[in-house]
Amino acid sequence: MLGYYISLALRSLRRTPVLSALMVAAIAVGVGAAMTTLTLNYMMSRNALEHKDDVLYALQLDNWDPHEADDNPSAMPWQVTYKDAISLLRSDIPTHQVAMHRWGGPISLDPSQNSGGEMRPFTAEARVTSRDFFALFDIPFLYGGSWQGDADTSPVQQIVLSESTNNKLFNGENSVGRTVNFSGTPFTVVGVIEHWQPSPKVHDLNNGSFNKSAEIFLPFGLHRSFEIYPWGNTNGWKPEDINSYEDQLGSEYVWIQYWVQLDSDEQRERYREYLTGFIREQKAQGRFPRPLKFGLSKPSEWLQLNEVVDGDDRMLNWLSLAFLLVCLVNAVALLLAKFLRKAAEAGVRRALGASRKAVFSQHLVESGCIGLAGGLIGILLTLAGLALVRQLQMGYLDTVASMDWLMMLSAIGLAILSSLLAGLYPAWRISRTNPSIYLKTQ
Amino acid sequence: MLELRPILSALWRNKIAALLIAVQLALTLAIVGNSSIIVGDRLDKIARPTGIAVEDIIAVTYYPAEAGTDIVSMARADLDMLRAMPGVIDAVHSNHIPLSGSGSASDFYREPNQQIDDEVANVYHTGPEFLQTLGLKLVEGRNFTPADMETWNPNDRYHPKVTIVTKQFADIMFPEGNALGKFIYGGGDNPIEIIGIVERHLGAWTSWAKAGSVAFYPSFPKFTFGRYLIRTEPGKRDQVFKAIEERLAQLEPNRVIDMQTLSERLNKSYARENLMVKVLSAVIGMLTFIIALGIVGLTFFWINQRRKQIGVRRALGATRTNISRYFLVENCLIAGSGIAIGMAAAQIGNHFMVANYSQPALPLSVMLVCALMLLCVSLVAALVPALRAANISPATATRSV
Repeated sequence: MLGYYISLALRSLRRTPVLSALMVAAIAVGVGAAMTTLTLNYMMSRNALEHKDDVLYALQLDNWDPHEADDNPSAMPWQVTYKDAISLLRSDIPTHQVAMHRWGGPISLDPSQNSGGEMRPFTAEARVTSRDFFALFDIPFLYGGSWQGDADTSPVQQIVLSESTNNKLFNGENSVGRTVNFSGTPFTVVGVIEHWQPSPKVHDLNNGSFNKSAEIFLPFGLHRSFEIYPWGNTNGWKPEDINSYEDQLGSEYVWIQYWVQLDSDEQRERYREYLTGFIREQKAQGRFPRPLKFGLSKPSEWLQLNEVVDGDDRMLNWLSLAFLLVCLVNAVALLLAKFLRKAAEAGVRRALGASRKAVFSQHLVESGCIGLAGGLIGILLTLAGLALVRQLQMGYLDTVASMDWLMMLSAIGLAILSSLLAGLYPAWRISRTNPSIYLKTQ
Repeated sequence: MLELRPILSALWRNKIAALLIAVQLALTLAIVGNSSIIVGDRLDKIARPTGIAVEDIIAVTYYPAEAGTDIVSMARADLDMLRAMPGVIDAVHSNHIPLSGSGSASDFYREPNQQIDDEVANVYHTGPEFLQTLGLKLVEGRNFTPADMETWNPNDRYHPKVTIVTKQFADIMFPEGNALGKFIYGGGDNPIEIIGIVERHLGAWTSWAKAGSVAFYPSFPKFTFGRYLIRTEPGKRDQVFKAIEERLAQLEPNRVIDMQTLSERLNKSYARENLMVKVLSAVIGMLTFIIALGIVGLTFFWINQRRKQIGVRRALGATRTNISRYFLVENCLIAGSGIAIGMAAAQIGNHFMVANYSQPALPLSVMLVCALMLLCVSLVAALVPALRAANISPATATRSV
C-alpha cells in the first residue's frame, strides 16, 4: 500500500512542479537554517570530559579585593595565584591534580640534528603544567610518557610534544630521547601524545574556548629558571610592589588554572575540609580578605559558568526555530492549496470506496515525500551554512562548525517530522471531502 | 465601496487559509523586527571610528631564538632599518597590537594610595613615533620626546612619569575637561603626569565595555618577545609587507617572526559581529522571500477556487478594477491583522531577548518601518494574482453553472 501511495505522491508532485518545488524549497531552507544553528549550539555545548564529569573539578579560591567581588558570574577569580598553586600541589588528597597556564615561544630542532638547517624555527603554543595533566585529562600517549616526578618543583628540561608538532619536527617518528631547542635551551623529548583537541577547550576556557590546544607541554618546575610570564590572562586587584621575579611569584596576581580529580565522596569531603583549613590559615596571615569561599566545579558546570555558549548563540537558536516555524506554516498553506486543488480526484477515490483513513494516509505520505526531499536539500544547505560560518569566523569556530552523523540524521528527522506535521491538517481536510460534489460536476 | 461585508464573509469561510497567512506574517514581523535591530546594533559597533590608520599598518611580533638577547638594541637596529625602507612612513615598538583582542590594562586613581573608585584603561608601552605610526591626532599637550623614554625589565617595578591619554579617558578621570597637566596614580603614590591628549584610539579590545579608554607610556619593556607597528604609504602596504618579511629574515635568520596587517586583525576582532550581521540579513531576506511566495501561491489558489464567482461578478457588471481591488483589500485585511499580532509578538520576543541574551531593545519606530515594509511586500505579492483574476472572462461563469 505504501509503495502505491509513494508512486501516487510522486506523480502528484510531478504534476505541479512549481508548487512542489516551492514547498520543498521552503522546508529545505527552514531545515537548513535551523540545523545550522542547532549544530553550532550542539557542538558548542559538548563536554569533552563527560566521562569524568563526576570526578574532575575546576578549583577557584576567592582571594579577591575586599571592597568588591570579581566581576564574573562566579564572583570569584577564574584562576589562582602561583603561591597558592604551589601550596595546594603538596596536598595528597586528590587522586590527580594539575596546576597549569598557557605559554609559548620559538621551537626548533637541536642544531646537531638539524643538518643543513632546513627546519626553520617556529612559534609553538605551550602549556606549562604539573605532571598529572595527562592522567587527569585522560590523554593517551603515542610514545613515552609524562616527565619525571620532581619536574613539578625543580627545573627539569623535558618536553612532551603533540602529535602534530612531532610530525612537523620528526616526521612522526618515535622522538623519545631526542632533543629540541625551545627558547634557545635544549629539552629532551619524553613523550608524544595522540591528537587531543577538546572542543570547547574545557580545560582552558579563558584563552578562547574554541582555539587550538597546545603544541608542546612543559614541566611546572621551570618558572624560576625561565622567568616565565604567562601568555594567558594575569589579573590583579591591588597595586603590587614587584621588584623581582620572586615578587611576581609571591604576588596576589592570579594566572594559574587549577584542576583536581576527587574519586569518592569521602575524598571530596576531605578536600573541602582541607581547602577550608587552607584558607583559614592564609586569613591568619592577613591574606584572603573576603568571606571564606572557594569553588569546585564539574566540567559541565565549568562550561556553563564560563558562558561558552553565549547570548548571541542561544538567540540564533530560537530565531532559527522561529524561522523553521514560518517555513512550516508556509508549507501548510501551500499543501492545503495543492491538496484542495485535486479534491476532485480524492472525491472520485472516496466514491470508489477508499476510506477516509486511506485518503488521509495517502496525502500524509505525499507530505512525507516532500519532507524527505526538503530534508536532503536541507542537509546540503546546512553544510553550506556551516562552511559560511567557518569562513566568517575566520578560523575561530573551525572545530565546532561541522556536522556529525547524529546531526545529519537529526536533520532528515526534523525535515520529515516537520513536513508530516505540516501535512496533518491539509490531509485531514482533504479526507473530509464530500465525494458527491465532485461526482456531480465531472 | 470597499465591499467589506462580502470580503469578511468570504474570509470567514476560508478562515484557516487566511489564518495561516496572518500567522506567517506575524512570525515574520517578530523575527524581522528583532533581527534588524540586532543587525543595526552590530553595524554601529563595526562602524565606530578607531582613530587609527587601520588600512596602512603592519604588525610584526618576533621571538629571538637565543634567551638573553638584548632586545632593545635589536629593536633599535630593526626600527632604523624599517624607517629607512621605501614606502614606510614610520615605525614604532609596542607591547601589543591595537584592535587585536590582546593587551594589558591598569587601574587608575585620582589620589595617591587610593583603594576604591578606580577607573580602568588599556595601557601601551611605546615610543614618540606612535602618533605618526598609528595616525593619532594630538588635540592637547605634547608628544613624548626621546628624553621621556625608559627601558625596564618585567621583573622591575616600572614607575611611569608621564602619559598621553585618549580624550575619552581624560574626561572620565577629570570630567571638568582640564586633564592636561594633572596627575593620575596607578594605586601607589607614584604620580603620572598627563602631558598629552589624543582625540581617539579604540585600544586593544573592540568588545570591551570601556573600549576607547587608553593610556600610553613612553617605555620599552624587555620581554622575551617584541612587537613593531609599521605605517606604510597608502596603497603600498602589501608590497612593503613582503619586503619587510625578507629584510627581517635576512637581518636575523634564527628568530621567529609573525606578521599581520592591522585590517586583518580588525576583521578577526569583528568576526562575531560580522557573522551576526550576515546571518541575520540572510534570515530577513529569505523570510521575506518565502512569505511573498506563500502569499502568491495562496492567492492564486483562492482565485482558482473562486473562478466561477469572479465570472459571475464580471457577468453582472463588475469591472476589472473591482475584481483586482477586491483581492487587494482582502489581502490588506489579512496582512493588517497578521502584522498587528506580529507587533505584539515582536515586543514580547524582544523583552525576552533583552532580559536573557543581552540584546538591544526594539524601538517603536524600527518596528513600524518593518511593519510597513512587510505590508508592502504582501501587497506586491498579491498584486500579480489579483491582476490575473481580473482577466477571468465572464464566459466561465455561464459555461458550467
